[in-house]
Amino acid sequence: MDAFLTSRIIADVLGGLTNGVIYGMVALSLVLIWRSTGVLNFAQGAMPMFATYVGFALLSYHFGYWACAVAALIVGLAVGGLTERLVVRGLYGKPEINPIVVMVGFLIVLEAVAAAIWSSFPRSLPSPFSSIDWQLGGHPVSLSPFTVYEIGASIVVMLLVAALFRFTNLGLQLRASALAPEVSRLLGVRVGRLLTLGWMLSTAVGVVTTILVSSNFFTGLTPQVNDGIFAFGFIAAAVGGLESPVGAIVAGVSLGIILQFVQDYLNSNAQIIVALVVLIVALMVRPNGVFTKSSLRRV
Amino acid sequence: MKIEVVRRRFAVSVALIIIATVVAFLIAPTTHNGVAIAIVLDVAVACVATLTLPGLRSSHPVVARAALSMLGVVVVLFVAFFLPSASDFNLATGAAMSIVLLGLSFLTGASGQISLGNSAFMGVGAFTMAIWANHHATTPIFITLLISVVAGALVGLLLGMPATRLRGPYLAGMTLAFAVAFTAILGEFSSWTGGDSGLQLPSEARPPHWLVSLFHSGASPLTTSTLWLTEISIVVAGVAFFFMANLFASRTGRAMRLIRDNDVAAELVGISLPRARVIAFVVSSAYAALGGALWTLIDNSVSPPTYSFALSVTILSLIVIGGIGTISGALIGGIIYAYSTNVISWIVNQTGLNPQGNFASQLNGIIFGGLLILTMLFAPLGIAGAVRHFWHRARNRSSG
Repeated sequence: MDAFLTSRIIADVLGGLTNGVIYGMVALSLVLIWRSTGVLNFAQGAMPMFATYVGFALLSYHFGYWACAVAALIVGLAVGGLTERLVVRGLYGKPEINPIVVMVGFLIVLEAVAAAIWSSFPRSLPSPFSSIDWQLGGHPVSLSPFTVYEIGASIVVMLLVAALFRFTNLGLQLRASALAPEVSRLLGVRVGRLLTLGWMLSTAVGVVTTILVSSNFFTGLTPQVNDGIFAFGFIAAAVGGLESPVGAIVAGVSLGIILQFVQDYLNSNAQIIVALVVLIVALMVRPNGVFTKSSLRRV
Repeated sequence: MKIEVVRRRFAVSVALIIIATVVAFLIAPTTHNGVAIAIVLDVAVACVATLTLPGLRSSHPVVARAALSMLGVVVVLFVAFFLPSASDFNLATGAAMSIVLLGLSFLTGASGQISLGNSAFMGVGAFTMAIWANHHATTPIFITLLISVVAGALVGLLLGMPATRLRGPYLAGMTLAFAVAFTAILGEFSSWTGGDSGLQLPSEARPPHWLVSLFHSGASPLTTSTLWLTEISIVVAGVAFFFMANLFASRTGRAMRLIRDNDVAAELVGISLPRARVIAFVVSSAYAALGGALWTLIDNSVSPPTYSFALSVTILSLIVIGGIGTISGALIGGIIYAYSTNVISWIVNQTGLNPQGNFASQLNGIIFGGLLILTMLFAPLGIAGAVRHFWHRARNRSSG
């Protein structure tokens, strides 16, 4: 292989990795909510978008990037918690289309309100790192300080979530109340509170991805910033099986890398089409997802 | 039914037919005979239908449904004669939309699934219509409509097969992905679909000859204005409603409702779940394609941005507000769609908002999204369900 081809492949893999961790994070936040409450949150893109707008409204009061990011995270936690308490709580145990419809409605309302307040023109956020690619043998490699920040922050968040679920008492309670809510309740776990906490967590994960995506100089923050990302994230989550957090992340990263090659060798239009084909094929071959062990559902 | 009720209704009907005939004679010199005949026919059909409906419903349900559909078509056509011609376009698009809503209502009401891809299926129908008309200009309109329906059904089959094997929100998510991908797919086949600018029908759509000869030749209102497009849409919608009402009541429809309510019980009595789900999905995509094809006909052109994901969300809102899983809900949703833009601009005028401002341009989304949430939380069967609920309560109170 000549140097050009090698550098092109490396650039595609690295560029795909950057998008892939984002898709993986969206998939992860979908899986977190799906596992614990059986709701596929179609507003998973819009809720963090709204929180990010609120947090970065502080920019006009001369707060810095990091202060705004922290504010957005806090608002995200609040939005997630309030949504669960006020909107979603009445939907548990209802037919499965009810939460879908309500969350689609919530998506429209949030996007419309955000556009009404902040207009639908892209708002550029100050990027804390340069997004000029490093060079390898005279070719750019799709890796800049900013993408390193993007990938690094995503990995940190994923590890934090994993650690929370695996090593803390709270994580144990979260897993227990998702797996067997009745038994957990009998054993003294406050299941209702933990469901709220799950929504707060997943919205916070969403806020991190939204900040990462919209700090990118080329996209900026718009009310529709997460629409496309949500579609790819859902596809990753469905391919991974909706039940498995690890599957969601692996599927997200793989999807990101595949789509980067598609964009490079075909065009960017073909990305969503290829993703759709991947989803159809995956669902036909392994209907319960590539990463879930086959299991019985209720009878 | 009590005999005096029938007698009273009969007397009222005869009186109405006499009044209609007199009115028709009065306006006949100033307008075309076709209009006068239509008025008499309208009223006569309406009277006969209301007279015989309760009895027919139990003895010949199919005939009763046909009568009811015809009654609906006749009433709307009648109203369309008298509305200002600016309203024709609203009525036509609303009628086409009600067909799409009917398909989604069936999918959800029958099999308990939901599709967010109806914008794309409408697009399939709309583009099939335009492409076919550009390549075979001589094909009659109704044949082209049928071809579009078949195209929509085939695409629905392709997508429905993998997704309907699964429980849960897979179908919703997958159809969402299809709706998002649809504009990209159109772009990939730009030599067929005309790329960003879309397609134009080869010539101004003309009414079929038999429709013209049925009324007056020459300068009848049917040929000079777009009224005939409205009429075609309304008639097609009536036929669609008739078929759907039968499908809801058929063996397949009942099997599907059992699946929605209890899929395990349905499997135990020998219903094939995947098959029933695929059928429901294919029917709903075919209906969406029919609505889209009518839109192409009405607009005389088709452009890709119309069929973006936002349209799917509008479709979902309309059917939820109208009453998901019901037939009348689709009708209500269609009427809401026909006049929502007028109502919203009226609200903007009344409240003194800046029509070019951010808030006014987003009002549509805020109102529809909010209504969507409120309906689902407090009246999951929408307007149709709420009306039915109060109707039953009032009836029980008066009889007991």
